[in-house]
Amino acid sequence: MELRLSEVTKNYEKVTAVDGISCTLTRGVYGLLGVNGAGKTTLMRMLCTLQKPSSGKITWEGQDIFEMGGAYRKLLGYLPQEFGFYPEFTVYDYLLYIGSIKGLRPAAARQRAQTLMKQVGLFQERNKKMRKLSGGMKRRAGIAQALLNDPAVLILDEPTAGLDPNERIRFRNLISELSEKRIVLLSTHIVSDVEYIAGRIFLMKGGRIVLSGTAEELTDCMAGKVWDCLVPGEKTGMYLKKYKVSNVKSVHGGSQLRILSEEPPAAGAVPEKPSLEDVFLYYFGEKAGDEDVPV
Amino acid sequence: MFRFEIKKVFSRTGSRIALGMLVLILAVICWFAADVSYVNEKGDTEQGLSAVRSLREAQKEWAGVVDEEKVRQVIRENTRIRNSPEYRSEDVRQQEIAYSWGQGIMDLRRLLNCFYEENFRSYDYYLADGLSEEDAPEFYGNRVRLLREWLSGEAKDQFSDAEKEYLIREYEELKTPFYYDYMKGWEQLLEYSPTVIMITVLILGYLVAGIFSGEYQLKADAVFFSSLYGRNRATAAKVQAGFAIVTGIYWVQIALYTAFVLLYLGADGANCPVQITLWGWKCFYNISLWQAYGLAVLGGYLGCLFLTFAAMLTAAKSRSAVLAVIVPFAAIFLPSFLSDIPWQNLGKVLALLPDRLLQVFNALPLFELYNFGGRVAGAIPILFVVYVVLTALLPRVIYEVYRRTK
Repeated sequence: MELRLSEVTKNYEKVTAVDGISCTLTRGVYGLLGVNGAGKTTLMRMLCTLQKPSSGKITWEGQDIFEMGGAYRKLLGYLPQEFGFYPEFTVYDYLLYIGSIKGLRPAAARQRAQTLMKQVGLFQERNKKMRKLSGGMKRRAGIAQALLNDPAVLILDEPTAGLDPNERIRFRNLISELSEKRIVLLSTHIVSDVEYIAGRIFLMKGGRIVLSGTAEELTDCMAGKVWDCLVPGEKTGMYLKKYKVSNVKSVHGGSQLRILSEEPPAAGAVPEKPSLEDVFLYYFGEKAGDEDVPV
Repeated sequence: MFRFEIKKVFSRTGSRIALGMLVLILAVICWFAADVSYVNEKGDTEQGLSAVRSLREAQKEWAGVVDEEKVRQVIRENTRIRNSPEYRSEDVRQQEIAYSWGQGIMDLRRLLNCFYEENFRSYDYYLADGLSEEDAPEFYGNRVRLLREWLSGEAKDQFSDAEKEYLIREYEELKTPFYYDYMKGWEQLLEYSPTVIMITVLILGYLVAGIFSGEYQLKADAVFFSSLYGRNRATAAKVQAGFAIVTGIYWVQIALYTAFVLLYLGADGANCPVQITLWGWKCFYNISLWQAYGLAVLGGYLGCLFLTFAAMLTAAKSRSAVLAVIVPFAAIFLPSFLSDIPWQNLGKVLALLPDRLLQVFNALPLFELYNFGGRVAGAIPILFVVYVVLTALLPRVIYEVYRRTK
């Protein structure tokens, strides 16, 4: 089970959305972290054969996925960032339809749809029209459709967008369960989504993978660069301008700051154990994790 | 897949409303088509089924071969009515009574007005009143004579010699004497057929417009095209669903319309030639009323398939249902605007546009001819050949365009 990307590039007229990405994916969960516009979706669309690379090659078990066509798509499950559905279909009908275009026989599709509806917690809602589902339920239906054909390659683009914390936790656990026998590529700009479940994380910026490794390897890169310090209240602004600050907490007598810096930012600054959010902030600067960076 | 494609179309509220409208409009058209009145011997106007029965009875009395003797009888009867005190009376009721006597020969009297005209293009409602029984032998010969005179005079530059010969030959080959029968059912059926067909096409265009644009509008295209059958069988299922919807709804619509009109007004006169009617007396296609209706509905089906496939192709290419819906509208309404363009060959172009297939009834009496290396043919057979080929090609084009979507 090997999905290999070799110097994959995608150009749109004057913009290079994906720039010479090479990597090899085998069984397990992969996290693709990056801010909006980093090229994650373009990369995923290429992996789903929806767009052809301008140059480079994507192979499955040594064969070009675009030449494989249906044989590759048979192995694929995809939840796009903008997940569209048929609003007047019931959840069950929707899954049966997707099952049919994924090549499942009707009886197998019925069985699989029922299993998955139970797995993602939609069985009670099976006769509800898709348009009447909550945002979280729609997302779960999206995950179920991606899993209908028991894919060897599961590609999830921003799967937790719009989910509440409970649903995100539930989703993470589900992905972990699923990862045992397949490649799962999970794109997100929410750090905590991948921190716990991804075996390997790719940090993507400007169409390139700027850093990759396990969560530990990535945080180890930041060793000695994360500091905790207490600064007087009137100087907080100056520190926020001068450094990348991953956390600000108002305390009695000033502000407690979590600062990313090569050198101790202030007298009495204490080195801290880096987190993945620190890594994210370090590489993506002020654009970092709008939703998850604690303030 | 096919079943779900059909379900996608009919699960939309808009589609259900459109279908409801289609049924409603058909009911209104049927109501108009069935609107027959009959003036009884007391001078009172009857409506509804009793009027149909009375008119049928009156006209059935004149059913039979329209030979010289029959023409004499019609002229005689018309003269008798015209000379009656009731006809000459100033009293409206008396006039109505006189009118009631003429309803049996109404169709044949109209034919006299046409065949005995001085000019091929004119029509005088009272011309029959001036005829005498001595004029009867000229009845059928007049039709050909009028054509010859017109072709050598007013229309001498409109047609080539080959086309003129073709028209005269077709006129001469028309089987005479005609057989006449009560034919109100077929006449009404033909007259309203373009309306039924055009409305059906517009509604069908709306129904199928979403088949190839729906995935884009709903942002479901990524899942669709990344699936095993997204770029082959599922796309084919869309084409098949479009074909099935168009075919099913069109023929149900036509069957309902035909059944209602013929059951209500009667199916008598199916074998009468179209040339026995006021609208079709000039027609150079020597066919019967049922054949004309067959051509109208088959042409309608072909045009309907072509335009709805064109709408689906537009949707597949543009990803827009709105643009797709516009296609049938444009095809139906644009030719009437184009007809004002001062260009010599415009008529020949307009006669081959797909809207003509939807209104074969209107196209049948028109002198639209094409000359291919000395062989002359009317527009209608050419329309059928051209659009059968194009319509057969379109599904493949739609399939290829959609499956190659990036």
